[in-house]
Amino acid sequence: MVVDTQARLVQGEALLAPLSSAITRPEPNRIDFALEPEQLYMAVDLLINGKWGYLVAITGLDHGPEAGRMEALYHFGSYGAVITLRIQIKRTQPCVPTICSLIPSATFYERELMEMFGVIVEGTPNTDYLYLPEGWPSGVYPLRKDWEPVNPLLVPVQEAKHEQ
Amino acid sequence: MAVQVKENTSPLRAVMDGLKTWARVNSPWLLHFNAGSCNGCDIEILATLTPRYDLERFGIKLEGSPRHADVLVCTGPVTLQARERLIRIYEQMPAPKFVVAVGSCALSGGAFRGCYSVCNGIDQVIPVDAYIPGCPPRPEAIIDGVVKLLSSLQR
Amino acid sequence: MSSNTNANPSTFIVPIGPQHPALKEPGHFEFHVDGELVKSASVRLGYAHRGLEKATEGRNYVQTLYLLERTCGICSHIHATAFTLAAERLAEVEVPPRAQAIRTLVAELERVHSHLLWLGVAAHEAGFDTLFMYSWRDRETIMDVLESLTGNRVNYSVNLLGGVKCDVTPEIRDMILNGLDFLEKRTQHYLEVVTSDALFLQRTRGIGVMTREQAELWGTVGPTARASGVPRDLRVDSPYAGYGEFPVRLITEAAGDLEARFVVRLRELQESYRLIHEILAHLPEGELTARMKRRIPEGEALIRVEAPRGELFYFVKSNGTDSPERVKARTPTICNMASVLQLTVGHQLADVPMILAGIDPCFSCNDRAVILRRGASADTWTWEDLRQHGIRVYHERA
Repeated sequence: MVVDTQARLVQGEALLAPLSSAITRPEPNRIDFALEPEQLYMAVDLLINGKWGYLVAITGLDHGPEAGRMEALYHFGSYGAVITLRIQIKRTQPCVPTICSLIPSATFYERELMEMFGVIVEGTPNTDYLYLPEGWPSGVYPLRKDWEPVNPLLVPVQEAKHEQ
Repeated sequence: MAVQVKENTSPLRAVMDGLKTWARVNSPWLLHFNAGSCNGCDIEILATLTPRYDLERFGIKLEGSPRHADVLVCTGPVTLQARERLIRIYEQMPAPKFVVAVGSCALSGGAFRGCYSVCNGIDQVIPVDAYIPGCPPRPEAIIDGVVKLLSSLQR
Repeated sequence: MSSNTNANPSTFIVPIGPQHPALKEPGHFEFHVDGELVKSASVRLGYAHRGLEKATEGRNYVQTLYLLERTCGICSHIHATAFTLAAERLAEVEVPPRAQAIRTLVAELERVHSHLLWLGVAAHEAGFDTLFMYSWRDRETIMDVLESLTGNRVNYSVNLLGGVKCDVTPEIRDMILNGLDFLEKRTQHYLEVVTSDALFLQRTRGIGVMTREQAELWGTVGPTARASGVPRDLRVDSPYAGYGEFPVRLITEAAGDLEARFVVRLRELQESYRLIHEILAHLPEGELTARMKRRIPEGEALIRVEAPRGELFYFVKSNGTDSPERVKARTPTICNMASVLQLTVGHQLADVPMILAGIDPCFSCNDRAVILRRGASADTWTWEDLRQHGIRVYHERA
């Protein structure tokens, strides 16, 4: 039983019709909705209540300090169709609401978004580092375009007790 | 009550040393630790225990606790998160202890050299006695490396 | 490490990892237990975080391909395939059918090696070392095949941007078919063992049950989800590479317990053997590569493929240069991790290693010593101790 991708896309688009957003179709099996952070919760609620797919991933995109904006892409997949909610974030005030009350397993993706891009996800249950090491300095966001990796870190070799 | 030996040249000391070396060389206990590798080297290390390569015929046993181990077989380019644990495990091992670095990531950071959360190789963190290159090294190469380390102990 | 000073004095925190002899990958779990029952669980990842996504921004597409192959040793080909599919889609390059078929062939061979590896490791967690040794011995057949075909046992590096590097000659074809004949008999035997060995069933039947609703709520993917009846398989839903010409059957089980997870993976092995036979019988003729641009035009490509553990998601954004703007990889283990943390609650501590092994965790895809406090004294448990504890508990029960 192969589910028709275009039919799923049409259903998804109908579910999100109440929101006003710019719609683009970058690939035949994808629709992108550009939304403001305030619209995120409602959009996810509409998709979950309409039983349209599952959260595939949350991708952070940094357009650079000159552009002054970032995006958080919330990808939802249903069989072969993908709907992406492109949340426009201002670099000076990077905040999005949490969707963990709707999708509990989104906590991992939100933690990654916070630690890698410095986006504040309001109301998220767990704000610990997911991938970054414990001693990582706060305020340093590796995936932002204006951060150059310190290359490489000099580690003093431990003078361990070593005898033949 | 331990035997009190006063001089290095005592014949008893020589016998004890010979016995210890014989035990260590003929039946070393290995501890495996993955310091952030992609698992390629780890599954080749695990494959050395399986019937085709069978490391146990050399008397080598894979152990669970650092406190029982003679040889630390380590893979991975040592991520920052794993670094403290690696040092702690190394310190928990009783002396004399040896470290074998397996794979090109463990030698120099491999493909990940220069990445922001990587220490560029195990010898940046703890002293290493044997290096086994490869991405990943074949199980035969791993066995060869461990056997070379053991025969160097005999000398 | 853990220091939960507000905990109920009868709640112990069992930290496991990152050094544990059974799972070859570092991860740190904490289980709050009350007696034998797990009350809650949490995980600390990041031990294999090497900063891959940032590293791709300084490399060109070819270098990125070699880097991304080494995200994971067990599923290296599928990571490389996903990235090349994304780059080819952005460059609007049509890959010849023979190359796509060979990519699919190697992907299925990788699935076979990965599932046999998992079978051995999961059996090892249950204390069933005989099955571990047998399945890994049989896995060597596939490793020989992969080595003859691609030149390496692990990190085979078959993909090029625009096609594949290696070809299937008649000798290799015969070698694959002979190997598969042997493995088909062995897999049938393992299926019987896993569904009929009484002691093994005690460790797997009815343990770690996840209903279909729970699987969908927690966002699980791959064989873990299919074992709970969720019909989610990207090779079927959204065929990529050669899966359009060589379709796969969807394999699901309804029970949702550990036994179902074993059965799903073994049946997937059988389906992979069937598919490999079909590909070899109908391998299209033609070129192995197509010409690929050095500078990839601007755009975004979103690729979802079915890794042996579940859905692998790649998002590649290009900016018109020869270096990617952003590469995002979301691996299946992070999706299934939430289910482990939920499932272990209410189970005995002895079942924890098996439940974790049931999702086939791969921490290196992901990321990139136990203290039981009883009053004043403290014991240290390793994973090995935990496994032995599990074996003892079930032997006493039998």
